[in-house]
Amino acid sequence: MTRGSDGMDARAGRVGLLACYILVIVATVIIAVPFVWLVCASFKSNADFLLYPFLPRGEGVLGVAWDRLTLDHFRSLFREAGVGRALLNSLVLSSVTAVLATLVCAMGGYALASLEFAGRRLVSNVVMAAVVIPSPLLIAPGFQVLYRLGLLDSYAGLILPAIAPAFGVYLFRQATLSSVPRELLEAARMDACGEVRAFFRVVFPLVQPMVAAFLLMTFLATWNNFLSPQVVLQTPEKMPLAVMIAQLKNVYYQDYGLLMAGTLASILPVGALFLLLQKDFVTGLTSGAVKG
Amino acid sequence: MRPTAGGDAMRDGGGGRAGRLGSDGRRRPAWLGFAAICAIAVVSSVMMLARREAPPAGASMWLFARLHRDIYVPAVEDWNRTREPTVRMSLLGVQAMEQRTLSSFLSGTRSAELMEVERRIAARAFAGPVESVGFLDLTDRLREEGLLEAINASSFTPWTSRGRIFGLPHDVHPVMLGYRADIVEAAGIDVSTIETWDDFVRTLRPLMYDAGGAKRTDRYLLNLWETHQDVLEMLLLQAGGGIIDERGLPMLDAPVNARVLARAVSWGHGPDRIAADAPYFSAAGNRLLLDGYVLASFVPDWMCNIWRKEIPELGGKVKLMPLPAWEKGGRRTSAWGGTMLGISRDAPNPEECWAFAKHLYLSPELSRRLYTEGDIITPVKAFWSDPVFDEPDAYFGGQARGRAYINLAPQTPPRYNSPFSALALDRLRSAATQLAAYADAHPPATPESLEPEAARLLKAMQADIMRHVRRNRFFAEDAPPDDGVQP
Repeated sequence: MTRGSDGMDARAGRVGLLACYILVIVATVIIAVPFVWLVCASFKSNADFLLYPFLPRGEGVLGVAWDRLTLDHFRSLFREAGVGRALLNSLVLSSVTAVLATLVCAMGGYALASLEFAGRRLVSNVVMAAVVIPSPLLIAPGFQVLYRLGLLDSYAGLILPAIAPAFGVYLFRQATLSSVPRELLEAARMDACGEVRAFFRVVFPLVQPMVAAFLLMTFLATWNNFLSPQVVLQTPEKMPLAVMIAQLKNVYYQDYGLLMAGTLASILPVGALFLLLQKDFVTGLTSGAVKG
Repeated sequence: MRPTAGGDAMRDGGGGRAGRLGSDGRRRPAWLGFAAICAIAVVSSVMMLARREAPPAGASMWLFARLHRDIYVPAVEDWNRTREPTVRMSLLGVQAMEQRTLSSFLSGTRSAELMEVERRIAARAFAGPVESVGFLDLTDRLREEGLLEAINASSFTPWTSRGRIFGLPHDVHPVMLGYRADIVEAAGIDVSTIETWDDFVRTLRPLMYDAGGAKRTDRYLLNLWETHQDVLEMLLLQAGGGIIDERGLPMLDAPVNARVLARAVSWGHGPDRIAADAPYFSAAGNRLLLDGYVLASFVPDWMCNIWRKEIPELGGKVKLMPLPAWEKGGRRTSAWGGTMLGISRDAPNPEECWAFAKHLYLSPELSRRLYTEGDIITPVKAFWSDPVFDEPDAYFGGQARGRAYINLAPQTPPRYNSPFSALALDRLRSAATQLAAYADAHPPATPESLEPEAARLLKAMQADIMRHVRRNRFFAEDAPPDDGVQP
């Protein structure tokens, strides 16, 4: 009887597992279709783009006209459209912004969580209130400030406003409160450890999962940011990839293959980075989920 | 500092704090991600510093059309060999160009010395006082050098604000009707007998039905829908109406506009429907043209180039005819689109930029290339006698396409421009869609039954735009007083 019910449980478990696998496979296929379509489109001529949803049909292996696939879009992307320069611009903007924003937000969050100073409560409330302000609302006043500071058309004009987002400061304040025991900090201070050293030797390692998650989020947000570079920058040579890809769009006639190749070139680097950091990212996002 | 509690925490930080066990049981360094992005920041910054080049010398020119840039390359290279300052072209998207141009005009950021802009960008640049428009005022130069007479007159109107001209026109953009000659000629119909829209409907209506004679609609006569706002504006212009008058004020409530709008909407929603939607600039619309779902489409000169590239299968099957007039003896064309070359008011070398603009736009070689590679007719009247315009075009059934457009060029209507153009165009579409809904709800929707409602809608839209006009102190002086019509 017991053995029978164990067998039934095991069978039910296997069926459940199988159902899960099927569900995951179906979901994966659904998610993968647009990416496969994008990859196919970036290797097709414009005529084939309109005729075939994926690869052009023909006499080749698997019924595909392999000889009609072309690398021309990538060639013109790098030779004529200057995607190499835009890629470098995006890398500089995203990585520098991500590193600086992470350090500044972690320091700000630590200060609000652990240091006693006059007005701490007020500053915390202001930071919390600032979280709810939608960023597009700040474009016009931000533009005026940058204009007065003479920072328009410079990377500083893009990086400086992005290195202390209220959301990040608040996130690290919460991470410090939940992950850094007050006794630990007091012990460090008793051992004559200064605040800067305590931050880097004690706090920063303890909020590391949040560091990784925030780093990746900021990197991706800056990489995909279209509006701010479009507004702040003027010189075409300074434009990041997101803006350059948008500029590939013509007024009436569209070079679809070039657009798709540009899109592919813009998602590959961040895709690789995400694969590198995905465990840290997930850990960071879930670190506050279970308090242990 | 002795590594006490903090150091311990780092060493045994489990739970994903300082380091985690990897699948092989070894700890993965906690700082790997941070270090990776730091490395990217350092390496990419060093690469960027190493690639930093001195600011390019010479004047910069922004363009939005890749085709134009490709056509200009020889002329620019020629200029750069012998003249100063050298000019370098930069291709920008229309949106990017609009934002950068306006941002530079309004906030003083750097712009290009030369800007080839589309109609809607110029319209937005005319928002302030006329003496503060960001483009250099070319009126006196054009007059003194006789260019006002040398260039097709209506081509100046989109670049004119309050009597001043801010750009050198690039084109004329007359509009013809592109029709499926294979179907029409197979039915033995001679389109040269068509003079008015009434003739058009009467002559071609038999082609809407199948050969068996059953009253099932196989195709429609005209590619027109109430959401095609550019086409609607073009039809208003043809009839002598429009959305903006020569003072830069909206004129949606002109009686002729109501007449045309009622007629156009009745074509799509009336008892004798002849129009259908084959969206312009889309793969779906191209497919419908190819399938013969619509017999005729509106084709400005530049559209020939798009058809040639995007629907090569139509080659030899289509021909062009002048637009049917709204009444006998009326205008047989209209205008759609437009581009100019403007010079920034803050350009350090305006005279050299002006010389370059003339070198580019007034060159006979460039005019020929503009036609042979871009299908665009030059606005310089002296070049219209070039035999290249008489060459037969195999795509359009061997017609002398260039000559056909040039014959119509002097008839192109003026199309005025102002900061309210975009708003007026939007409200025109709004009126058209509301009128279409009214037509569906009140059958049979004949032009006569729709005209009063069209007039009412356009008057309301006009009142709405006038509220915006009265808030603009630079245009409010010319605006008529509020007549109390509620938008």
